[in-house]
Amino acid sequence: MSVPLARRQLLFRKGRALAGVAGIAAALLLVLALKAIFAGMQDRLTAYIDGSGADVIVAQRGVDTMHMTQSALPERTARAIASLPGVAEAKPILYAPTKVERGEKRGIVYLIGDESGGAPFPLAAGQRPRTGEIVLERALAERLGARVGTSVRVLGTSYRVSGEVEGLASITNSFAFVRRQELARLLGSVGVVSYVFVRAGSEIGAAELATRIEASQPGVTASTREAFARSERRVVGDMTTDIVRAMILVGFVIGVAVAGLVAYSATLSQLRDYAVLRALGLRAGRALALAVAQVGATVAAGFLLALALVFALAALLPGLTPTLVLAVRGEDVAQAIGVAGAVALAAATFPVLRVARIDPASVFRR
Amino acid sequence: MQSTLVRIHDLVRTFGEGETRVEAVRGLDLELARGEIVLVMGPSGSGKTTFLSMLGGLLRATSGEIWIDGTDIAALAERELPPFRARTFGFIFQDFNLLAALSARENVEVALNIAGVRGGPARERAETLGNAMGLGNRLDFPVEKLSGGEKQRVAIARAIANRPALILADEPTANLDSHHGAETMRLLRGLAKEEGTTVVIVSHDERLREIADRALWLEDGRFKTLQALVRDPTCGMLVDPAEAPASVELGGERLFFCSAGCRDEFLADNTPIGYSQGARPMGTR
Repeated sequence: MSVPLARRQLLFRKGRALAGVAGIAAALLLVLALKAIFAGMQDRLTAYIDGSGADVIVAQRGVDTMHMTQSALPERTARAIASLPGVAEAKPILYAPTKVERGEKRGIVYLIGDESGGAPFPLAAGQRPRTGEIVLERALAERLGARVGTSVRVLGTSYRVSGEVEGLASITNSFAFVRRQELARLLGSVGVVSYVFVRAGSEIGAAELATRIEASQPGVTASTREAFARSERRVVGDMTTDIVRAMILVGFVIGVAVAGLVAYSATLSQLRDYAVLRALGLRAGRALALAVAQVGATVAAGFLLALALVFALAALLPGLTPTLVLAVRGEDVAQAIGVAGAVALAAATFPVLRVARIDPASVFRR
Repeated sequence: MQSTLVRIHDLVRTFGEGETRVEAVRGLDLELARGEIVLVMGPSGSGKTTFLSMLGGLLRATSGEIWIDGTDIAALAERELPPFRARTFGFIFQDFNLLAALSARENVEVALNIAGVRGGPARERAETLGNAMGLGNRLDFPVEKLSGGEKQRVAIARAIANRPALILADEPTANLDSHHGAETMRLLRGLAKEEGTTVVIVSHDERLREIADRALWLEDGRFKTLQALVRDPTCGMLVDPAEAPASVELGGERLFFCSAGCRDEFLADNTPIGYSQGARPMGTR
C-alpha cells in the first residue's frame, strides 16, 4: 500500500471537495430526476390500460394508442367480438379527452364511458356512477375540491361526483368515468364505441386472440395489452424526447462546468505539489493519473449522491404530490452513468493539460 | 582521497533565442567527491538555480556533460530521468515544499513510494528517519502544524529516504531562525561525513561556509574564485575586480564597485557602508 495521495489531496480542502460533489450531484440529479419523472409519467399514463384487466384491446384499424388518438368502432363490432370463441368478456368503452370544471378550477381528463363506471379500479370513496353522476380520480378531485356529493361540469353538463378512484392521475392528465350511454349522448355518437377491452378465455393466449379478432372483424386493430401500453408509452416518449435530451444536455453542461471548475481550481492549488512530486521522481503519467483520479472520485461521489437523492425523491414525492410519480429505471441510471463519465472526461481535460505542462524545475522558483 | 561522484564538463544552458537569448550557465566545469559539502554562492540571477536544476536532472542542459556515478544524465531519455532522480537525488528546498495534505510521516513515505518502496518497509523507514530527526511524537501531525525547524527536518528526512548519493539543497536555512539554521547545518554535515552523501548547497547564507568543504562563487553563469573577490564598500556585494564596472583609487588603495551608482554614492558620502572595514579579499573561512 502506498500513501493514498489522490484521496489525501482531494479531502485536504473538504469544503471545496464537498462543494464539487454537491454541484455535480445537482447536475446529475437534474438528469436522473427528469428521466424518473418522465418514466413515472409513462407508468401512470398506462396505469389505466395496465389495470383494465383486458388481455386484448381492439380499436379502429391503425389505432393502437389512446393518447392524442381518436378511435371509432360500430357497436355491433363489439357484440361480434363478444361472440367470438376464446373471448371471455368484451367490454366496449367510449373515450373522450376533455376537461372537468368546478368553478374557476379545471383539470384535463380522459373521460371514459363504460357500463361498469370505472371497474375494475377500486373505489377509494363513494360509489359507481349512475345517470347524471361521475367518478373522478382522487388527485383531481382533491385539486378541484370536488369531493363526493359536489358537482362538476363536463362537456357543458353538470354531474354529481359519486365516487373517487386512485392511482390513475399523472402530472399531465387524469381520468373520470361516467356511464357509456350517457357519454354517447353527450358526444352524439350513439351506436359507436371507441375501444373494446377483451378478456381472453383460459384456453387461448392474448396474441392468438388478437390475431383471431383481426381475422374475423374487418376494420379493426387488435393489440395485446402489453403491446398497446408499449405503443402508448412510445407516443409520450416521442413527444418528450427532445425535452429530455435538452435537459440532459443542460445537466451535462452544468456538470462539466461545476466539475471542471472544481477540478481546475484544485489542480491550480496543487501545482506546487505536482512539481515537487515530479522532482522527487514521479513519472508524468502517474501525475496525470493523480489528477484524473481526483476528478473521477469527485464525479463518482456526485453521481452516488444524485442517485441517493433521486431514490429519496421517488419515495417522498408521491406523498406530497400524488400526480408526480418518479420511476427510477435501470436504463436511465445507466444513461446517467454515461453522462457522469462524459462529465468526468471533459472536466479532467484542463487539469490534465495543466499537470502535463508542469515543469519539475519550478520547485526551485519562489 | 575520496572517489569522484559528480563530474561536470563544459555545462552550458541558454534560454531564448536571438536578441532575447540569455546564457544562464556558461561552460561550467566541476568535480564533486563523495561525502563532500560544496556551497555555491552568488548574486541573484547568477545561474545558481539553473545549475542546481540541471545537476538534479530537472532541466536539460543546452550542451555539456553531467556525469553522476558513471551516468551522463544529459544523455538519459526523458522517461529514464524520473526513476534516476528518485534513487539518486535528495532535494531540500527553502520553502520546504512539503505536501500539505499529508502528515510528516507520509511526506517521507511518499518519496519512498515513488522510488518503488511500499507498504510496511516504507512506513518503517519513514518512522526510523522521523525518529532520527527528532520528530518521534510529531510524525502523524499534518505538516501545516509543524514549526519551521520541524518542517525542515521532515524535508531532510524525505531527501535522504532513498539513500541518495547526492543531496541538492536550495537555501536550506533561509526560512529558519539561527537555532534551527544551525541544527540544519549540523544534520547536513552529519549526512556528508557519516553517510558519505555528497551535498551541494546553493545559498546566500554565509554561515553555511562553516560546514562547507568548498565554497564556489557563481556569477554570470561562471564559477569564480571566491578568494579573488572583493566587497563593494557601498552596498557590500562581492565584486570580481577583473570585471568590476567601476573603481576608484583612494589613499593608494583601489576600491571596486558593483556599479557606477555605488561608486558615485561612495564618493559623495563620507561614511560609506563597510568602508571603515576596508575592501578586503574574500574567500577564506
